[in-house]
Amino acid sequence: MSAGDTKFKLAEFWNEFKKEKSGLVGLVLLILCLLTVIFEPLILPWKEVNTKWRDIDYWQDNPANAPPEWTNAFSSVKSPVTQRLTAATREEADLDGGAKMVTYTLNYKYEADKAPLDVIFHISGTGDIPLIVSIERPDGIRVELAQRFEQGISDQDIRISVDNDGRNAAFAFIKQYESEQALQEYSSSSLRTADMLFNTARQGMASEFKPLKGTYKLVAQAMILDPATMDIKDPTVVVTGSVSGLLGTDDSKRDLASGLIAGMKWALLIGFLTSIVSVVIGVLYGIVAAYYGGKVDSVMMFIYQIVNSIPVLPVLIVISAIFKPNIYTLILVMVTFFWTGSVMTVRSMALQIKEETYIEAAKALGAKNKRIIFKHMLPLLVPYSFASMALSVPSAIVYESSVSLLGLGDATIVTWGQILHDAMQGAAVLKGLWWWIIPPGLLIALMGMTFAFIGFSMDKILHPKLQTR
Amino acid sequence: MYKWFALKRILKGIFTYAIIILVLSALFNTVTDKTMRADIEEQVRAESSRLKNIQPAALQRFQEQRRQDLIKLYRLDRPLVERIFFRAWNTLTFNFGKSTIIKSSRGEREVLSIVGEALPRTLILFTTAALIEIIIGITLGLKKAQKPGGVMDRTTSIITMVVYGMPTFWVAMIFIMLFVYQLKIFPSSGMHSVPPPQGIMYFFDSLWHMALPLLTLVLIGFWGVAYYVRNIVMGVLQDDYIMAARARGIPEHSVLFGHTLRTAAPPIMTMSILSLLSSISGAIIFEGIFSWPGLGNLYWIAVQQNDIPVLMGDLAITTGIYQVGLIILDLSYGFMDPRIKVGGKA
Repeated sequence: MSAGDTKFKLAEFWNEFKKEKSGLVGLVLLILCLLTVIFEPLILPWKEVNTKWRDIDYWQDNPANAPPEWTNAFSSVKSPVTQRLTAATREEADLDGGAKMVTYTLNYKYEADKAPLDVIFHISGTGDIPLIVSIERPDGIRVELAQRFEQGISDQDIRISVDNDGRNAAFAFIKQYESEQALQEYSSSSLRTADMLFNTARQGMASEFKPLKGTYKLVAQAMILDPATMDIKDPTVVVTGSVSGLLGTDDSKRDLASGLIAGMKWALLIGFLTSIVSVVIGVLYGIVAAYYGGKVDSVMMFIYQIVNSIPVLPVLIVISAIFKPNIYTLILVMVTFFWTGSVMTVRSMALQIKEETYIEAAKALGAKNKRIIFKHMLPLLVPYSFASMALSVPSAIVYESSVSLLGLGDATIVTWGQILHDAMQGAAVLKGLWWWIIPPGLLIALMGMTFAFIGFSMDKILHPKLQTR
Repeated sequence: MYKWFALKRILKGIFTYAIIILVLSALFNTVTDKTMRADIEEQVRAESSRLKNIQPAALQRFQEQRRQDLIKLYRLDRPLVERIFFRAWNTLTFNFGKSTIIKSSRGEREVLSIVGEALPRTLILFTTAALIEIIIGITLGLKKAQKPGGVMDRTTSIITMVVYGMPTFWVAMIFIMLFVYQLKIFPSSGMHSVPPPQGIMYFFDSLWHMALPLLTLVLIGFWGVAYYVRNIVMGVLQDDYIMAARARGIPEHSVLFGHTLRTAAPPIMTMSILSLLSSISGAIIFEGIFSWPGLGNLYWIAVQQNDIPVLMGDLAITTGIYQVGLIILDLSYGFMDPRIKVGGKA
């Protein structure tokens, strides 16, 4: 068999494969997965998810346990969507003595039926900054929410959470409309700040929320005493809604869609690396055992049988619990068990090939064993190897996620199994947080399905008896 | 001749098991050393706290003496190779020692009784599931093979591929969310209500608790069984004797269940046992989701409590069952396919 023959064989194989619809579906899905991995930096809603998945500060502005944004479409009471506002207009007004009043205004269009959870101001400041944050409602009422004086900072982020810092101001605001009697039942701590701020100003607003829809102006203002060395810039306002992101958030406020996209590459890596390495080892092992036969075969089969009679997952769990391996070590451990999968079939196929006359001819011509194995036997087993690889990818992914589910995964990366582990820890099953449980498992299942489609189609071509046509 | 074949296979199984245990003993040698030393310290402390009216110097001497004795008893002073063999032998003779935290339901700290009480629960769950899977799988597989390429064959094959990589534990989580907390028709966890009901109700109560884990296993499992049965039967159906039988006018039903199934039985049997084994070796931790107190759940608890002796004991027993399963597999194969037992060759 020359290289050209192999190419011809593969072309023939491809022609057969094209006829299998499910195989093509699998292939398309696989390409979609690969594209997701390649364009990951573009797709990710949260760009730094890979390094900051376990960084609490990175996620602090998100709501916790929030359902996905699109759930609004199925609900009659619309929830506010978490938004990040960056389009700000800057105004400067000169004051006496060279000082300046810098004002940033951001517009927030409020259309939901429920108040947001929080409004969070971020602004980066340099020098001594007396910052005033206020909100101008659609009805023209202006509420000054909070004041903050930062001294001697250099380009640092100032974070003001209206829910905490603006609570008293908001309570003072409703005091103007509410009767004394009604207010006695409430204190500033029994009402949510945003519920007060986004409410229609009227008698009885403390007891009932009636949204005042329209455009709110969020204002951040600071007096800059010395414009040469001090300034505020880059204001961002996060309106924390009760729905968030494409797939919601978990109880640590993490955006699940980002985590799942980031997990895709690890799933593929685990699947591919484990299956490719173990199938290559298994195929070579099977060929060598069949080709040399005799004592070599007996010893190799004995080793094979021992490895094959170890239950994989329990051993994997105990090894992970004791040695706390990283992802590559885990893959290596999986390979030490997975290679047995293809040995038996390869061995029996190789035993047949071995008896072919052209092998005999090659031997008679003085070809070395290595040459016969790699040139004459291995190419015939290539299609089978591909099918075998495709079919062992899903189990590698499921094993990794099972180990991660127990909390034994590599803590430096994000995998789907780890997200499921967090969901178990966070009692997502009990609380019915379906957006936390369904997507990770569905992706694992989908990945398994992709490779099953490809693998089973290859299998069908390789075993003509199974063909229905 | 069958008994020689059987004996040989059993001996080989025991030998394989011994080698696996030896390898595991070597692999986990360091951590076992560590837990044993911690164990000894604890024991010495417990013993010395029982002593009263003793001089500090004498106490120290006593502690040192006890420590040395125990180290000698556990052979921690012996060379590495001897320790490995000693521990492998201990495991083989079911001498797993004591757990560090976990207790059995009767409050014992013997690892053997902790694992021993979990074992039957796992077996009953998985074997029942396997039985149901086989029954559904064979029926469905025969139907599929009868009309390959038909609507039913194609749809079920697609479902087989869809569930191929589906993690059992995830399906379990969804079922719990749906059936336990939303529809409230199944209990959330455990083997029976607390307190357990008496008499015949106990049986129904257990069945009710087992229903959901069983449903999960079966719903994921039988597709694969059906798919393989179909493939095996399709191979058999192309044999000449089937054509001859059909030509003689034997009803299709009898061809399928009589002629075909008899020939296809050994590989189907193999495949069924293999699917049971693969669910033990791959899906066992799904017990943890249901808090079904079997071997799989024990892994969860042992990992969370970092109880190394229980983890080791659990592993040894799981490997043991797996071994037994493999032996049964070969024995049943030999029993059903007369060509294998002739000559007593394994």
